[in-house]
Amino acid sequence: MIGFLIRRVIQAIVVVIIVMLLVFLLGHIIPGGAARAALGPRASKVAIEGFNRANNYDRPLIVQFYLYLKNLVWHRYLGYSYHFNQGVTNIIEERLPKTLVLVGISTVLALIVAIPLGVLQVVRRNKPVDYILTGVSFVFYAMPPFLLGTLLILYFAIDTHVFSVEAPQGQTVGAILSDPRALVLPEITLAAITIASFSRYMRSSMMEAMTEDYVRTARAKGAGPRRVLFVHALRNALIPIVTLLGLSIPAIVSGAVITETVFNYPGMGLLAVQAAENTDIPLLLGTAFVATLATVAGSFIADVLYAVVDPRIRYASR
Amino acid sequence: MRDSSRNVNVSVTWVGGPGAGPEREVDVRRTKGLLSIAAVAIAAGMVLAACSSSPSSSGSGKGTSVPTGGTKMAGGTAVWAELPGSAPNFIFPFDPPGLFSVPNINQFQYLMYRPLYWFGKGTTPNLNLALSVGQNPVYSNNSETITIKLNNYKWSNGEPVAAQDVVFWMNMMHANKANFGAYVPGINAIPDDVTNVVATAPDTVTFTLSGPVNTNWYTYNNLSQVTPLPEAWDITGAGGAPGSGGCYIGAYGGAATDAACVKVFDYLATQAGYNPSNPKAANNSFSTYATNPVWQIVDGPWHLTSFDATGDVTMEPNASYTGPDKPSLSKFVEAPFTDESSEYNALLGGKLNVGYLPLSNVTKATTNPEVVAAQDPRLPNFYLNEYYGWEFAYFPVNFNSAGNNGAAGKIISQLYLRQAMQMLVDQPAIIQKVFKGYGAPEYGPVPVLPTTDFLSSDEKTNPYPYNATKAKNLLSSHGWKINANGTDVCEKPGTGSDECGAGIPAGTPLTFNLEFATGINTQTQAAADEIASWDSVGIHINETKSTFDTVIGNATACTPGPSCTWEFEDWAGSWVYSPDIYPTGEELFASGAAANYGSYADPKADSYIHDTDFTNATLDQYENYMAEQLPVIYLPDQVQSLTEIQNNLRGATPQNPLSAINPEEWYYVR
Repeated sequence: MIGFLIRRVIQAIVVVIIVMLLVFLLGHIIPGGAARAALGPRASKVAIEGFNRANNYDRPLIVQFYLYLKNLVWHRYLGYSYHFNQGVTNIIEERLPKTLVLVGISTVLALIVAIPLGVLQVVRRNKPVDYILTGVSFVFYAMPPFLLGTLLILYFAIDTHVFSVEAPQGQTVGAILSDPRALVLPEITLAAITIASFSRYMRSSMMEAMTEDYVRTARAKGAGPRRVLFVHALRNALIPIVTLLGLSIPAIVSGAVITETVFNYPGMGLLAVQAAENTDIPLLLGTAFVATLATVAGSFIADVLYAVVDPRIRYASR
Repeated sequence: MRDSSRNVNVSVTWVGGPGAGPEREVDVRRTKGLLSIAAVAIAAGMVLAACSSSPSSSGSGKGTSVPTGGTKMAGGTAVWAELPGSAPNFIFPFDPPGLFSVPNINQFQYLMYRPLYWFGKGTTPNLNLALSVGQNPVYSNNSETITIKLNNYKWSNGEPVAAQDVVFWMNMMHANKANFGAYVPGINAIPDDVTNVVATAPDTVTFTLSGPVNTNWYTYNNLSQVTPLPEAWDITGAGGAPGSGGCYIGAYGGAATDAACVKVFDYLATQAGYNPSNPKAANNSFSTYATNPVWQIVDGPWHLTSFDATGDVTMEPNASYTGPDKPSLSKFVEAPFTDESSEYNALLGGKLNVGYLPLSNVTKATTNPEVVAAQDPRLPNFYLNEYYGWEFAYFPVNFNSAGNNGAAGKIISQLYLRQAMQMLVDQPAIIQKVFKGYGAPEYGPVPVLPTTDFLSSDEKTNPYPYNATKAKNLLSSHGWKINANGTDVCEKPGTGSDECGAGIPAGTPLTFNLEFATGINTQTQAAADEIASWDSVGIHINETKSTFDTVIGNATACTPGPSCTWEFEDWAGSWVYSPDIYPTGEELFASGAAANYGSYADPKADSYIHDTDFTNATLDQYENYMAEQLPVIYLPDQVQSLTEIQNNLRGATPQNPLSAINPEEWYYVR
């Protein structure tokens, strides 16, 4: 296991560096350059040259990348965003908690709802309840978040004033959580789609588990339906869900750009889009770094949890 | 200044949701068809249910004109929507390049730090002395001397706004001009042409220039940039004594003064979050904007009480304000938005007192761009006011382009080609069809709307009205074989009056590359119309869609050569005349000008531009020539915004065409 962990950490570092390099190169391929994007179209040639010099953009790409990594590793410095007039670290520190709150809550909600739904669908398999829930899942799974969010806003916020038209506008986690009414609609928008996805996985996984030999054995030994369902089948059916949860971590960190936009909630998703639109290379790299870290971490956690919950899985040391 | 606000009304289209993953095979094939129908029915039902409960119309005519009457009330909070993506992010009123923007200056700093001269009177960009710190500038000595007496303004620390405060700003400018966003080298403007600035009396400052100037140009385009700064800001560290920096009282242009002013600028810019000496310094200054004692010294009607990194701004009245129009409101709030749909939702949800109606939500087109046709029935408590900025829309063409095997620039240099292209831009049709009537035609460098005295009588009418036949004849009479909806070809090379032109060989196709910025649906539609129109006479356009930053990045002046290949670049925006409010051409059309991206070069134009800057010539000769010569392709200008103002909020109109806001003039009525 130790060997496995060490190998995964090394892999993660390599993946992060490769992704950062790709994003770095792609960012520099964008025509026009960061200078004009940052300084505006009125910038003089002298100003552009000065900007490029101050930010090392006049040096070879490989040197620029090396300097970026050196600052990142030794000084934890992710660069400066001229567009936002802030250090990239500051911007991410402000936006990341907001995204974690928004997407994290929706993911937890999704789990709380999707698991029982999936179980219910298996218990009532091929009955009207199963069909209705399947249909609803497909509707929400297919529905673009901007459509769902807009409809929810139109009815529940504008027409009936039950909830707020926008997500909480506070800047801290405490401020955001202190306005739960404003969190309802964005959470429903995000969770509905995730519930649809998770419940389908849960249903399939439960169906598969219910046909396994150990379930037949449990029944043969006299276990009641509830025990068979919750003690034997569900615990095994949760294994893919655990994996799915690990793989959801990148989304929890990277944000949901559409929901953030519709509900006026600037988070990591919108930040990444803005960075690309503004050719804000330090910010682009910063958001890519965070997203990549989250992805490798999520994948790693998924693998570890999988081994933890399934005793059949053991990662060999070489 | 480019209109950055035009380019942030972005509708983001993105498909997907969080946590989406590969779907596992499930046993629903049998019921898939039925479920699909059910899914559509449910979705349709939700849409119908949501739409059916819209408030009924408030009746015709209501909400389309500025309401009057009511009894003025003191107090109240007004929440004003920032344009999406246009949150302020710099408080120090000496803005570096990249931070020099309308959201920072006109909509944030000016509320606290009054500029020497205020521009915007009614819907015109004219000098407004009633709101200015300076009285009318007096030009003497062949306009080489300017004497400015100041009105009685006070800083909130009790100090008067003095002539030396103006000198302080000029000292700062002299030493740090490369760090000032509006500085344009090479045009002999402020501060390059200022040989001395002296406070000749506590309330009188005198400028000495290096040569005569056009007084309108100098007042509107140079003095417009000056913002008096308090002596208390002449420091290089926290707690420093006012004036200890050495920049405030230093002799203008002296080496010691410059050195001192560099340090003072570095300190103040760092306090505002921008650290030019060390861009790698961590920036966490936004949280200090409302508490840093430096920024609390104001002479404007407002002071900042709250600010955050996303652009939420709260201001309260400056109790020490001595200018006219003391605020009636007790609080003014600027609210940021991610895009226009979230702003519109906030408007519908009652979160805003002043917001914007997206053009896509306009229910009825107007036949008069200055008259609102109909209000959005979902906003019965608001009235709608159209707002045209002081700008004109265009896209540059590259006179030096080496595209099309070296012929592109040569073709573009032919006036008849530009005339034909201009004649194929059907401005009235684009305004009516695409902008729903809310747009202004542009025939030259001086905006048609808002109406001003700057517009010459010639430029009031279109010298090149839409005429496809005439455009086609223009091309054919210059040696081009017309292949309508195909590509014209040069049949008669040469420099004769009926030939294609110098450097255009026989067989050259009449084709151009146009890169245009996406993100604004109306601009994309307008571009599509223009391209179809050009194509109809055989001017074939190869279009490429890119982001705004990519387009402006590519639209740079280049010398003829293999790397100078761009031909047309359209960033779907406008040239905003601010702070160069007097619409002259030294930045846009003079040979070698910083924003002369297409490298247009015409000695006659240069001469006319020179006259508008340095003699008493009016704009007429210059603007008529530019309208005739087409250094760029002029495009219809979409209304900058359709502003929704709560019915019981007065004073918010007329709107300043320079995008400045005066919430001190707003008040509620009962």
